[in-house]
Amino acid sequence: MQLVQEEENLTFNQFKDWYENRHEYAKAWKERTGGKVIGYFCTYVPEEILYAANILPVRILGSHEPQDVTEPHIFAMFCPFCRDCLAQGLKGRFDYLDGIMIAQSCLHIRQAYTSWDLHIPTDYSYYLPHPMHVQSPHAIPYLKEELIQFKKSLEKWIGHLITDKDLKSGIELMNKNRRLMNQVYELRKEPNPPLTGLEAMYMVVSSQMIDKEEHNRELELLLQKLPSRDIGDPGERLIIIGSEDDDTEFMKMVESLGATFVTDDHCTGTRYFQKEVGSSRDLMSAIAERYVKRVPCPSKDWPNRTRLDHILQLTKEYDVQGAILIQQKFCDPHELDTPAIKEKLEDKGIATLFLEFDVTVPIGQFKTRVEAFLEILREEDLF
Amino acid sequence: MANSESKEYWRWTESRWTNPDLDWKNGEIISAGVDVGSVSTQSVVMVDGEIYCYANMRTGSDSPDSANKSMKWALDGTELPLDNIEYAVGTGYGRVNVPFAKRAITEIACHARGANFMYGPTIRTVLDMGGQDCKAIRCDHRGKVTAFLMNDKCAAGTGRGMEVFADLLQVHINEVGQMSLVDEEPEPVSSTCVVFAKSEAVALLRKGWSKDNVLAAYCGAMAHRVVTLLERLGVEDDFAITGGIAKNIGVVSRIEKELKVTAPEPSIDPQLAGAIGGALFGKALVEKASKK
Repeated sequence: MQLVQEEENLTFNQFKDWYENRHEYAKAWKERTGGKVIGYFCTYVPEEILYAANILPVRILGSHEPQDVTEPHIFAMFCPFCRDCLAQGLKGRFDYLDGIMIAQSCLHIRQAYTSWDLHIPTDYSYYLPHPMHVQSPHAIPYLKEELIQFKKSLEKWIGHLITDKDLKSGIELMNKNRRLMNQVYELRKEPNPPLTGLEAMYMVVSSQMIDKEEHNRELELLLQKLPSRDIGDPGERLIIIGSEDDDTEFMKMVESLGATFVTDDHCTGTRYFQKEVGSSRDLMSAIAERYVKRVPCPSKDWPNRTRLDHILQLTKEYDVQGAILIQQKFCDPHELDTPAIKEKLEDKGIATLFLEFDVTVPIGQFKTRVEAFLEILREEDLF
Repeated sequence: MANSESKEYWRWTESRWTNPDLDWKNGEIISAGVDVGSVSTQSVVMVDGEIYCYANMRTGSDSPDSANKSMKWALDGTELPLDNIEYAVGTGYGRVNVPFAKRAITEIACHARGANFMYGPTIRTVLDMGGQDCKAIRCDHRGKVTAFLMNDKCAAGTGRGMEVFADLLQVHINEVGQMSLVDEEPEPVSSTCVVFAKSEAVALLRKGWSKDNVLAAYCGAMAHRVVTLLERLGVEDDFAITGGIAKNIGVVSRIEKELKVTAPEPSIDPQLAGAIGGALFGKALVEKASKK
């Protein structure tokens, strides 16, 4: 059972605060630095190049509130996440952005991007073509060329060149952030992890919207505190697998039932920060290689399903007992992978529970399912 | 009074019962299960794992109140004081709101355990068709859940949907199933969404369909919907149905036909399964505690 009381939980307050006040943060950052802010739609966007240009990349995420502003722009059969993202733009919550961009991953989020581009005026917008077939030997050279074009476009917009020195510092900043978050995740492998899944989520999601310099400093402080932090027995050790997920309410609900998420396969988790940019002298090639070879989003994990082995590896390393497979409603790439992932996990004796996210989650109904799932995992005091 | 009652076609019969062959004073462990569902609430009191008394009534707007009322009714005339119940378990939507329960356990676990008690240890697949949701459950020989699936956040294919149809067609809910058993099976209605199916039924009536044919079309659609849920989970014999809809021969026989399985005839009201499971868990928890 988790012993962390919300009030006492100061260790992760900064991350939580950043996550909850992302807009205030970005506005203050602009004021303070005079720099530009770009909103991005997918974690395939190479933030290295944006940091090299002194631009703050901010991931566009939803707000998990019911809304009615996207109906004229996106069909209701598109995923709730892409609609929620667009809603934030239409409601003016990102009015401080100087530009927006996307790297091609799935069509749903691209629809949110194109609709935003059409209806919400910004100074700059960029669609970065990104290889879908990342398993092809030609994917890296393809992406490298596209990155060069993107860099040129940025240079034109900001009015000066981005040097190799700039790029190197962008890469170093991103890599350091990845390395530090990996170190935090390493601690979750322990029998008593010093952080909850909810806290890990605050940490990773906030890194997608906060200046990485600042985020890195906070991570270094965190890494000093965590080894001596004791939050007690984790209960059942769970992995959460699926599409974009910053549903903190859901994480909180599951962990309030006495289980702990010890790792994840999410683009708001490990998929975002695992794998660094290598040290090749050809910087653009090195960046391209990282984004082609990172743990893939299922929209790109084709024709081989490389995520299956990766997920199994995670369950071993983190000593996982149960898996919650959760995806945005109508997310076809995830839907297609789910039966294979479920089968593979159950083969290894890891129980699974499948759930679908909507903009708002029916917490009561989900709670019944999660409780029943935990009852399956729990030792059999009832029999 | 009788007149206004008779117009409430959806109103199913509330009931209570005391086992004439048991005396609670001779029992060792008195346990109880209270299943506060979205539509109905059941209290079952067990003496050493045998049903001693029960009540089955409609859920009110207030969960603790519904739990208290149903337990009070179950104990009515038994002279068994509530305080003598050693362990009460709450289950169902209102499981955390049962004032006198020591523990809340999900209705999924309780229905599997209850079905195991009602139909025997060979049951491997349980379909619980409740008031507002529907669960397909797989379990082992002890009635422990091994896997489950639930329908989405919608009342299609549930008791509430059937109540709406009883009301629309002015056929008493207890007669709906029998009436739907027509000689020539019509095409099922195309939607099980309660609202859409109701509009569709109105159109069919206007076209001149008889009530029994409309009911057949609705029961068929409902059966088909839960069969797809069961097929996603995988059905292993033996198969049993719990919950209010288990009393509807029109739906049950169509499920059996589609799945090519037979569900055993319930000897105990199948709406009680969850509360029975809860009472059995209560007994197990008392036994575990005394061993320690």
